[in-house]
Amino acid sequence: VSDLVWMSMTELARRVAAKEVSPVEVARAHLDRIEAVDGRLRAFLTVTDEAAMTQARAAEARVMAGGTLGPLHGVPVALKDLYATKGVKTTGGSRILADWVPDADATVVARLADAGAVCLGKLNMHEFAYGPEGLNPHYGAPWNPWDARTHRICGGSSSGSGAAVAMGLCAGALGSDTGGSIRIPASLCGITGIKPTYGRVSRAGVLPLSWSLDHVGPMCRTAADCALMLGAIAGYDPRDPSTSVLPVPEYGAALTGDITGVKVGVLRPFFLESTGSESRHAVEQALAVLAGLGASIQEARLDSARFAAGASTAVLAPEAYAYHEAWLRTRRAEYGADVRERLSLGAFLSAADYLRGQRARLRIKAEVDAALARLDVLVCATTPIAATPLGESEVSVDGETVPVRQGLIRFTRVFNLAGHPAASVPCGFTPAGLPVGLQIVGRPFDEATVLRVADAYQRATGWGARRPPLAGVGAPAA
Amino acid sequence: MTDLDIDTLRTLARVAGLDLAEDELERLLPLVRFARRAAAELDELGLDESEPAVHFRML
Repeated sequence: VSDLVWMSMTELARRVAAKEVSPVEVARAHLDRIEAVDGRLRAFLTVTDEAAMTQARAAEARVMAGGTLGPLHGVPVALKDLYATKGVKTTGGSRILADWVPDADATVVARLADAGAVCLGKLNMHEFAYGPEGLNPHYGAPWNPWDARTHRICGGSSSGSGAAVAMGLCAGALGSDTGGSIRIPASLCGITGIKPTYGRVSRAGVLPLSWSLDHVGPMCRTAADCALMLGAIAGYDPRDPSTSVLPVPEYGAALTGDITGVKVGVLRPFFLESTGSESRHAVEQALAVLAGLGASIQEARLDSARFAAGASTAVLAPEAYAYHEAWLRTRRAEYGADVRERLSLGAFLSAADYLRGQRARLRIKAEVDAALARLDVLVCATTPIAATPLGESEVSVDGETVPVRQGLIRFTRVFNLAGHPAASVPCGFTPAGLPVGLQIVGRPFDEATVLRVADAYQRATGWGARRPPLAGVGAPAA
Repeated sequence: MTDLDIDTLRTLARVAGLDLAEDELERLLPLVRFARRAAAELDELGLDESEPAVHFRML
């Protein structure tokens, strides 16, 4: 396996700019890796190998000509298959859109290209992004790289993004997050991902699940790479009226490694107290590391978090139903059973229920704001459970039966309602060798502090440098 | 709040133009009941003074 596939985006960009590696060589190494392992991994739905090599050759020519280079020049990325890509199939992980070829790029796709990134293809996902397990009845569920013997879920809905980045098939990927769909697969696949503040990154050209809860963000192996990728895609977009006009800071400049005096609020009630002991142990150790780095660890609570499930469903289900209504009437059989059922739910909630959810989320946001008025970040486990075997709908956590689906989104969806930026970084492993994620939540539009804490933690620990068991083999065993 | 029964759900589905099989209705019923109950419980947050988080922007 070429070392290039494990190189960070930051390092690849630096080496390309310094003419130490060729974008063609980098793209070839990743495409070879995809060819070797993705037959069983199922991270990609479409590999755009010819287009990628064309982009890579153009990138190389620009380097050799001494042209101005973007921050991601020659760096290979991949896209969750709900980003519109001009001339390239965009399925949303569905049969319904199996043959849809958009005639324009999503704004973030165009911005990645402008930054010099080389796009390798489109990634697997839970159908229409409606599920935190990352399953897909049409294209097969991606294999979690951290268990070579048992087919475990990657977490979703950005499951292909999680698997591809963890296995070195691309240096970074775009995910999307409506209830945790960036952070959950980041946690379960042992990588780093950030859901930025609502309005920080354009959703134009992104297949919606829920307009008011959807967030676009990067999934990479390090916080520094997330900072680099976020900087390339963030900012106002006239195509998306929800984007903010606030200027985009230089996120990399915030990554000083110094978190002395940063006030870290530990969310225990509802969050850490209902986290499985194996994951909780990893989080407690992470807190000790943060304290050792000079952070001030304090207690925090969000009492309204227990209303997040009700508010999230009240908002998400009607919005998702509204988008899918016509297809649910005319092409119902083409949906997978689980997503068809969830989408249908929205038909039976009233306008009053929807608005009750939209009213509740402001109360939840106010409580998160109040906590962050005295603290710089809030932390908890990203998920209360680690990756479960495919097909398991319940799991035993410390003797208690937890539904997998509800468990996975328990700690994440509250921050989709609130809109605050939230990242997941690897913070250890269960005794079975499955990754555990630490969720770090910050003030609105203060992704810089979230990434600074995440980066400092990663510099001190190096969990992200560990490779999954599948990394050294050609493909998972059948 | 009165729980929906399967007959009401069937009628609502028909009104919405959804052609749901009987087994689909049966699987949906507990989900709908749970979601409606959870939405009703949001009133415990004391929402009287809260406006919904949806905005029509003129500029």
